[in-house]
Amino acid sequence: MSDAILAGNAFLAVVRRDLHIYMSYRSRLVSQALTVVFSLTLFYYVSRLVNVRGFGSHSSYFGFVVVGLALISVMYSCFSITELIRQELVAGTFDRMVLSPFGAVRSVIAMTLFPMAYSFLLAAITLATGCLLYGLSLHWSTVPLSIPVMLLVLVAFLPFGLLFASLTLVIKQGNVGTSWLIAILSIIGGLYFPVTLLPHWMQTASELQPFTSATDVLRHLLVGSSLGEAVSPALLKLTGFAAVLLPLSIAILAAAIRTGQRRGTIIEY
Amino acid sequence: MTLRELEADLSSPAAEHRTQPVASPASRASGAVPLALREITKRWRKDQPPVLDELELTLEPGTATWVGGRNGAGKTTMLRIAAGLIEPEQGRTEVWGVTARENRTRYHTLLSFLPAGDRGLYARLTVRRQLVFWARIAMVPKARFEAAIEDAIQAFELRELEDCRVDRISMGQRQRLRLAMTFLAGPEIVLLDEPLTSLDGEGAALLQQAISELLARDGALLWCSPSGEQLDMSFDTRWELDSGRLVRA
Repeated sequence: MSDAILAGNAFLAVVRRDLHIYMSYRSRLVSQALTVVFSLTLFYYVSRLVNVRGFGSHSSYFGFVVVGLALISVMYSCFSITELIRQELVAGTFDRMVLSPFGAVRSVIAMTLFPMAYSFLLAAITLATGCLLYGLSLHWSTVPLSIPVMLLVLVAFLPFGLLFASLTLVIKQGNVGTSWLIAILSIIGGLYFPVTLLPHWMQTASELQPFTSATDVLRHLLVGSSLGEAVSPALLKLTGFAAVLLPLSIAILAAAIRTGQRRGTIIEY
Repeated sequence: MTLRELEADLSSPAAEHRTQPVASPASRASGAVPLALREITKRWRKDQPPVLDELELTLEPGTATWVGGRNGAGKTTMLRIAAGLIEPEQGRTEVWGVTARENRTRYHTLLSFLPAGDRGLYARLTVRRQLVFWARIAMVPKARFEAAIEDAIQAFELRELEDCRVDRISMGQRQRLRLAMTFLAGPEIVLLDEPLTSLDGEGAALLQQAISELLARDGALLWCSPSGEQLDMSFDTRWELDSGRLVRA
């Protein structure tokens, strides 16, 4: 059996391990589904309360914000890698990964897979709850196209997760600024409100990073909202972002592990 | 049964099926040894004397080595360096002549390390899932995969515990699981840091059996524990770690 197949099996084993651990906490999915319901309820009534320029109706703002909320849950799941790394350090299981033929770098990358798959489920729950409880109208003909776009968004988020994982390995803390990044991205990415409401300099920041246009594309595919720019440039920007940052973040992760081994801090927690 | 008697028993034809394939004829032909620590120096703080000071140690095939020393002498640091978990300030560690930096995958395939304490387990996983997970990231080939897990369960008598979650078993049972993980992939070099922690007499006997099988297939063992600990085992070489260097015990 080739090393590639053995490595593939090891990747799947990490996903299965995370699934088994997740399933061992039986109330977790219910608790997170309830959080989604509460959040949607809040924004449903906020959407009834406010009139935002550019939205034809209360429902169109609700559709706008539901997709934003789904993406925020995706971001939280992707960035949960820092807490997972922290748990591995405390439990001493990270040492085992470092000492395994599979290795620590591939193990950390594999550890991002379950949270990413889970974020898909949370996004689906968010949209389904919006449909079932609050009459969100999905654009069914283009919903399947949102899946590859969502995958691309996840791949583009992955470098952030790996960079934060590297930071966690160095400073041994789980809270390494992920919540700040989520807050910043949710503002300049236009997840709660259109970026046209932001000051000019923030709109520039919004245009520079790829998540605003990716969110626009997802909204267009899921709820049929109008597009700020053409689909192809938006996806190209996202792809380029991932293509540059992903190898860079993997190199930084490898360097963080190596530094920990050289300084002897890899064993600390 | 003593360790040597077990070794004799294991060298019989009937025991052949229990042994696993080992090293690389090419490595053996090159004259390299299973494990060599060469002029290892490590200090934790620049203003303090080194915890390991140009330490030299080699393990020969089919031998068991014991290293003792007072608490804080540097035994665990030495094992962590030998395992490739941390790097020395100076010197090199070789498995069959190859360092972890030169070929990390091979290094960690041939060498297995049991850290001291009770860490390194997933509390919410069952014993079997823990072993399966470890076998996967140890990249045990498909042909040996199921047998490796079954052998590990059998060798450390984990059958009744295989569906139990780790956080629901005793410390001694956890130690047996940690030992099972250490020997699961059929390593050639095994490093044990205070392996008797929490083990009862039966668990210690199972460990002895596993060590005998390792030695019978020409593997090498390095066992570290504090000086003065009562050990019902025979070792080919005994060292004391003192002031960063090894002296004959």
